[in-house]
Amino acid sequence: MIQIKNDESIRIPESWRSKAIPMIVVGIIAVGISFFLFRLVSDKDVMKLVSHSYLANLMFCMTIAIGAMFFVLVQYVVRSGWSATVRRLAEIISSVIPWLAMLFIPILVMLVLGRKDLYEWNASREELHGLAAEKTGYLNWWFFSLRSVIYLSIWSVIVTWVHRMSRRQDETGEVEITLKIQKYSGPMIVLFALSVSFAAFDWVMSLQADWYSTIFGVYMFAGGMVAFFATMMLLFDLLQRCGKLRDAVNVEHFHDMSKIMFGFNMFWAYCGFSQFMLYWYADIPEETSWFRTRIENGWDTLSYVLIAVHFIIPFLGLMSRHVRRNRVGVVFWCAWLLVAHWMDMVFMVMPNTHVPASGLLFIAHLIGTIGMVSIFAAFLILRASDVPLVAHRDPRLREALTYSNPIL
Amino acid sequence: MSEHHEKKDRSRPPQSQGWIAEYVDEHGLLEAARKVREAGYTKTDAFTPYPVHGIDHALGIRPTVLPFIVLVGGFTGLGTALLMQYWMNAVDYPYLISGKPLGSWPAFIPVTFELTVLFSAITTFLGSILLNRLPKYSNPVFTSPRFDRATDDRFFLYVDSSDRYFNKNSVQNLLSSTNPESLEEVMEDASSTVIPRAVWLSVLLLLVIASIPMAIILKMRNSNSPSPRWHVFFDMDFQPKKKPQQISTLFADGRAMRSPVLGTVARGQWEGNDAFYLGYDPAKLAAHAGRDRSRFVGASLAAAMQDPVGAPALGQPPTPDEEKSPESAIPAGSNVPAKSETSDEMDESSNAAEKPSDEPSPGDEATDGKVMVEETQTANDAASPSSGEPANPSQDGAALASAVPTLPFVTNIPMEIDAQVMELGKKKFEIYCSVCHGVGGDGDGLVARRAEEIAQSYWLPPTSLHADAVRSQPVGQVFYTISNGKGKMAGYGAVLTPKERWAVVLYVKALQRSRNASESDVPLEMQSKLSQSK
Repeated sequence: MIQIKNDESIRIPESWRSKAIPMIVVGIIAVGISFFLFRLVSDKDVMKLVSHSYLANLMFCMTIAIGAMFFVLVQYVVRSGWSATVRRLAEIISSVIPWLAMLFIPILVMLVLGRKDLYEWNASREELHGLAAEKTGYLNWWFFSLRSVIYLSIWSVIVTWVHRMSRRQDETGEVEITLKIQKYSGPMIVLFALSVSFAAFDWVMSLQADWYSTIFGVYMFAGGMVAFFATMMLLFDLLQRCGKLRDAVNVEHFHDMSKIMFGFNMFWAYCGFSQFMLYWYADIPEETSWFRTRIENGWDTLSYVLIAVHFIIPFLGLMSRHVRRNRVGVVFWCAWLLVAHWMDMVFMVMPNTHVPASGLLFIAHLIGTIGMVSIFAAFLILRASDVPLVAHRDPRLREALTYSNPIL
Repeated sequence: MSEHHEKKDRSRPPQSQGWIAEYVDEHGLLEAARKVREAGYTKTDAFTPYPVHGIDHALGIRPTVLPFIVLVGGFTGLGTALLMQYWMNAVDYPYLISGKPLGSWPAFIPVTFELTVLFSAITTFLGSILLNRLPKYSNPVFTSPRFDRATDDRFFLYVDSSDRYFNKNSVQNLLSSTNPESLEEVMEDASSTVIPRAVWLSVLLLLVIASIPMAIILKMRNSNSPSPRWHVFFDMDFQPKKKPQQISTLFADGRAMRSPVLGTVARGQWEGNDAFYLGYDPAKLAAHAGRDRSRFVGASLAAAMQDPVGAPALGQPPTPDEEKSPESAIPAGSNVPAKSETSDEMDESSNAAEKPSDEPSPGDEATDGKVMVEETQTANDAASPSSGEPANPSQDGAALASAVPTLPFVTNIPMEIDAQVMELGKKKFEIYCSVCHGVGGDGDGLVARRAEEIAQSYWLPPTSLHADAVRSQPVGQVFYTISNGKGKMAGYGAVLTPKERWAVVLYVKALQRSRNASESDVPLEMQSKLSQSK
């Protein structure tokens, strides 16, 4: 059992800490390069491409952090024992949210300046038509900004509070702290569900202002959960390769995290299909417009490939427990699903530029992603510094270290 | 323990079946199970009040093949669902739904998902029953009274005597070294394996009782009875309403049927008695003299009732002396077919109306009888309205239908006409008429095209409104057809007001003219546009 507070094996490697600042610099440079490449894709639509690409990449990181927050809250709600050793890393990932919120500022600035490159509804009612015009009471720059601030504040408060309480337990070992978080995590999940759903409506769905889908927030959330589990397992693998957490996280934890990831991946497909089928069946022009955008301008290839890459192939690949208990298999499918989530975010956002899909566009966007992920990773390192990677005085630690999955 | 075994050795004392150790918690059980496995025993089993993590590993239970069986079951369900739906929707009963392809994969997915889950679940259920060799009615461990607590708060470890390395003393020593709460030898169940007669009888009784409803249903479905049927489900068989000719207690006169309130007209009933409502001139009809007068009055009444179904029924059936035998009714060289297809007759009669009708010849008498009254006053006496019909009493509906074209239809629309009326007519035509007749009136509406595609044998194609027979009809006749229907076409008198019907007539006439228009028909201010587009 891990009892020693200052044990180096439950801290991030020393060498990582010095890399955080260079990574932020690299990230900013990469985002700049991607902006420059978008100019080559289309000089006319460059602002459109840049803003959409920025949003897609920000959402890629944001959904991962949001997934981490949900994971932490759910562990407390269900009083789960197995996850006591892995929960801290999820706490750290989720505690990046207040910092990611800073990256949202450019988008809000664009809105205040009245630019319509990203959100077409940022115009007066007279300039819009159809449903978009009717929505101006809800979709306007000040109300949108206010809501964004509210969502980000809710999440920041939740993750900061849970993380601080959990850290306090590291010092005191009070069981009451666990009970207290358990008590409040139920209401916090309700707040979380509503705010995440509305945030998805505002930030991503309103890119096509005349379209609406009530399951959209759930869809984004499901994709984010998959990406979060993939990220967390890849991080654990990386840490163990650096000689950390070797006793705390074992094959049983990887098995369990893979199971939940597999389940959420099915849930993602379920939500995506539920959304698609109703619109497909009714076949009403104003409702199918969103899907039409995604089969035009060469985006159809991505849309169809996404079904196989995000669902069918990993569904078959992750089905067996032998894969889920095999480290190489787990790492492979985690990396695969992160790529799938990246494609999903591209699918969500980029077709709304109405710029034809091209290889250069994808490369430019990918470089932007590398930049954004590098900033995200730097935030993670900064947040993880001086924090034990295991909640080492959690009352359920013993259960987490000794349990095993039944043999089927 | 088989019955065979039991019968054979009833006299001998019960044999030892193995040893069972009792523990107060799962840790003791897990520890003991590990020891027993390490000692090499494989015929072991554990009994716990709830699933214990790690017990499979401690006992050395190997992974089961069930997941692979379930995988096969799931894929079978997936394939079954897809093939079934494709066969049903695209092969056996192809039916176009909102213009989607017959084999629409997105629509198949929910059922595919359900069947995959269902097949997987059934395979899991049956597979686990088979792999566990269930049902097992008895187990020797049940003989121990302490074992009852296995479903409550105690944990048991059992070593069977059929194990390869089983040795009574060494097993006993091994188990007692694990600090069990108790340790006992499990003896063979000495009680009889014969199922008690009471059980047999109750099962039999239950079967008999269970078959009673089925027997009653079978009898009911295969026999006749003069008494009213049992109403297991009432559906809508009994309703608090009065049927015609029943007695009402609500009204003083005791009549359930009420006559209309004085000064009112029911919907679909008489609307008016002039050309605007009828499509023909009732005064002309009344003034007309001749043998057919009574018939015309009958047809007039029918039209006045505005009831497309009732219309033929109110017509006077032809008297036998007016009828001719079918052979003599069709003169040689007549173009009237000897069949009762109503729509064909209509077309034929319209053809006849095109001919110069002031010179009726004896050979044309069959067709002349249907020529419009206002054009062929002289022909009326010579022609019998039913002379073109087969003299089959069962087809008198068809015979009566021949009264229709003899009405004095009006040739001018009896209302003010302007562009708004034309717009109204276009709108109503596209709503009600175009589904069969087509937007252009060519008889190629969506319904017609679909019927043609699936080649239904009973389908009668809708008439093209540009056929000569239709083009030559006076506006009153088109109005009459719209109001009362014709052939398979239903009447639209109930859904369109007279004004709307005339508007549709106007639009139909405009459609017809559009195919035969000359440049001079185009208004002057539009002619420049026309020449530009040329």
